[in-house]
Amino acid sequence: MTSRRLTRYLAAPAMASAALLVLAGCASGGSSSSGSGQPDAAAEIVIGSQNEPTNLDQIFGGSSGVTEVFTGNVYEGLFRITDDAEVEPLLAAETEVSDDGLVYTFTLADAAFHSGDPLTADDVKYSLERFVGEDSIAARKNQLKVIDTVEVVDDTTVAVTLSQPSISFTYNLGYVWIVNDEAGELTTSADGTGPYALADYRKGDSITLEVNDDYWGDAPANGGVVYQYYADPTALNNALLTGAVDLVTSQSNPDSLAEFESAGFQIIEGTSTTKELLGLNTRIAPFNDAAVRKALYSAIDREKLLDAIWDGRGELIGSMVPPSEPWYLDLADNNPYDPALAEQLLADAGYADGFTFTIDTPDSGVHSTVAEFLKSELAKVGVTVEINIITDDEWYQKVYTDKNFEATLQGHVNDRDINFYGNPDFYWGYDNADVQTWLAQSEAASTVEEQTELIAKANQQISDDAASVWLYLNPQLRIAAEGVSGVPENGLNSLFYVYDITKA
Amino acid sequence: MLLLAFALAVTILFVVLRVLGNPVFALISVGATDAEIAAAAARLGVDRPIWEQFLSYVGQLLSFDLGQSFTNHLNVGDEIVRRMNVTLPLTLLSFALSVLIAVPVGFFAAWKSRTWYGTAFSAVSQLGGAIPVFWVGILLVAVLSLGWRVFPAGGFPRTDWEDPGAALYALTLPVITIAIVAGSDLARYVRSATLDILGQQYLRAARATGQSFATALWRHGVRNAVVPLISILAIQLSTTFVGAVIIERVFALPGLGDMLLVGIKEQDFPSVQGVLLFSTALVLVLGFIADVLQRIIDPRLRDSLSGNRRVKAVA
Repeated sequence: MTSRRLTRYLAAPAMASAALLVLAGCASGGSSSSGSGQPDAAAEIVIGSQNEPTNLDQIFGGSSGVTEVFTGNVYEGLFRITDDAEVEPLLAAETEVSDDGLVYTFTLADAAFHSGDPLTADDVKYSLERFVGEDSIAARKNQLKVIDTVEVVDDTTVAVTLSQPSISFTYNLGYVWIVNDEAGELTTSADGTGPYALADYRKGDSITLEVNDDYWGDAPANGGVVYQYYADPTALNNALLTGAVDLVTSQSNPDSLAEFESAGFQIIEGTSTTKELLGLNTRIAPFNDAAVRKALYSAIDREKLLDAIWDGRGELIGSMVPPSEPWYLDLADNNPYDPALAEQLLADAGYADGFTFTIDTPDSGVHSTVAEFLKSELAKVGVTVEINIITDDEWYQKVYTDKNFEATLQGHVNDRDINFYGNPDFYWGYDNADVQTWLAQSEAASTVEEQTELIAKANQQISDDAASVWLYLNPQLRIAAEGVSGVPENGLNSLFYVYDITKA
Repeated sequence: MLLLAFALAVTILFVVLRVLGNPVFALISVGATDAEIAAAAARLGVDRPIWEQFLSYVGQLLSFDLGQSFTNHLNVGDEIVRRMNVTLPLTLLSFALSVLIAVPVGFFAAWKSRTWYGTAFSAVSQLGGAIPVFWVGILLVAVLSLGWRVFPAGGFPRTDWEDPGAALYALTLPVITIAIVAGSDLARYVRSATLDILGQQYLRAARATGQSFATALWRHGVRNAVVPLISILAIQLSTTFVGAVIIERVFALPGLGDMLLVGIKEQDFPSVQGVLLFSTALVLVLGFIADVLQRIIDPRLRDSLSGNRRVKAVA
């Protein structure tokens, strides 16, 4: 046993140096380009992703991975959310809204499902009722609970009555798939109206989409798409480097960017909606005191953190709202980095000698690195951080469901999720009557201007209260091989339309 | 004995998984209400008392049904069969190659054990057996895929075995990787088994009767060496299987290993149970076959109880 262990120790440095030598040798090799320069309309695009859907149905916890593959590509909604976060009509060719804002009457586009079945009002009724139904655990179900009844007027007309006005209704509909009411098990198969049909589903490996020749809209610019999934980020990077995939939807490790850049790959940076935040349980002391929360905020050099994590990419934000949303305000300096101010605020709040608290840190992503950074920053103002690393499962149980925590780290990925601050029962327990009123009123607003003004007020207030510590906004990084174009930049909330992507 | 071991594995696995986590949390996202979480638990059946879940699970197993995945709703049995399209050839090819490496290397190292190159051979095999298998994989990818572009860095044809050439090409690097580690391990057993025989009286006696070294070895040595080697080979085959499951991740191969790891991540009890029970059954059956084979070859073993078995995982 001893000799075996000894060999292992000797082997490790030897092999490590060999590996380094080899890697150094490889770095000089470039990627080969097939390059005639002209986009090939028949080319199949291979997309590498780490975000494999748990299943193929958005209402059964298919996760954001299913949005990435299917929304807008295989399934379409009544509306489409563009890469710039605008709402456009899609399957709803015409929309009429009653004066009280409660009844939406949609006239449907002349579309058909991949199975050949024409799109009818029955399909829309089925899809909407299914989305908000009892079994559904769709991520956006709550936003669509305002749907009271769905009524089939005739084959191509459907009327939706809301229980209260909802100005974001058409926006939220952009995420709801219209599925064939006669389709069977949608967790393993698909029948939508989109430009691509599901050709092959190999769980743990790939999803292949073929061009729908009978598509009712414009034909895609490519000859089909394969999503190739990688559990291991290194395997994904290797696949890109060796030409096994044409692009990756999201690069989560900035360390390898330089290597890709020097090998001639395109680095595409857009804005994401993923906010890294330190959630504070505002039900309990000392976090029920806004001054303490502001003190923590001012004690953290977020610029330095962003540099460390994302190599300067991404953005600093001062609230839950990213620049891509209409009610964005530049609040990055609302709680400025100022350790002296932090100490002053702590002293005023009665914590001149600091205090100790625990951050429950999910073991996924960058959270544990962020936690270590926060620990060293807060130590400088006398606050002691204890780090408790937990799994994502434990997070849902301990933090999200039981609300049994002091502070936690989480990346909140959804767009427009400032609304969580209007719910005092949400895990962080932020309870401000004004904010609740403004957010509720904003949803019932009759014009977009009115809505924008109300949410902006809430935005300012949660920032003034330092309801959470918003550390930064992730960059949206995609990497594509030379000759690949038409890749969507921003991809809000994992949307990823593939029909414009071409390859030379 | 076999059935008892299997039943024990079923029970332990069932309980441990349920203590470790709640599958509902892999499905919901931030924003889900308590009522929705409860409804999802009810749909998966994990809200029932654990003994009730266990009874229905055992009933299911008795009808040879491994159930349906909690997350992707695919039939677990069918998925295992599909994944074995990758894992089975990977295991068998790696095993065959490791035997091809190990037998001559081990024999040579024993035969020439008193020379410096015999010692060098055994040192190299010691080293090979001590390296973690995934590390060898990463190293080979760096050299042969990223560097020289001889083999793909990973993946498996989407058409499975429709084009056997392409499938074999995809498996080449993973097979070499596993065979290097498993072969080195095995070579050490072959070496010590051979050394054992070379020192035996019956071999010297045979030589004394005028038989050549080769004839003596073949007539008396091999038969005596085969019996312990069979159980070592059975253990080694199980080990190779475990190694295959680990190396699949490095090479992005959609086999059983991927199914297991993703299943654990998603708290997908039926998938995890299915893969682990299948592997357990495989290891138990291999051991059983080895026992039977040994008794056929060596009559002295027929009356004795089965020997101690040891399965070592490649780490």
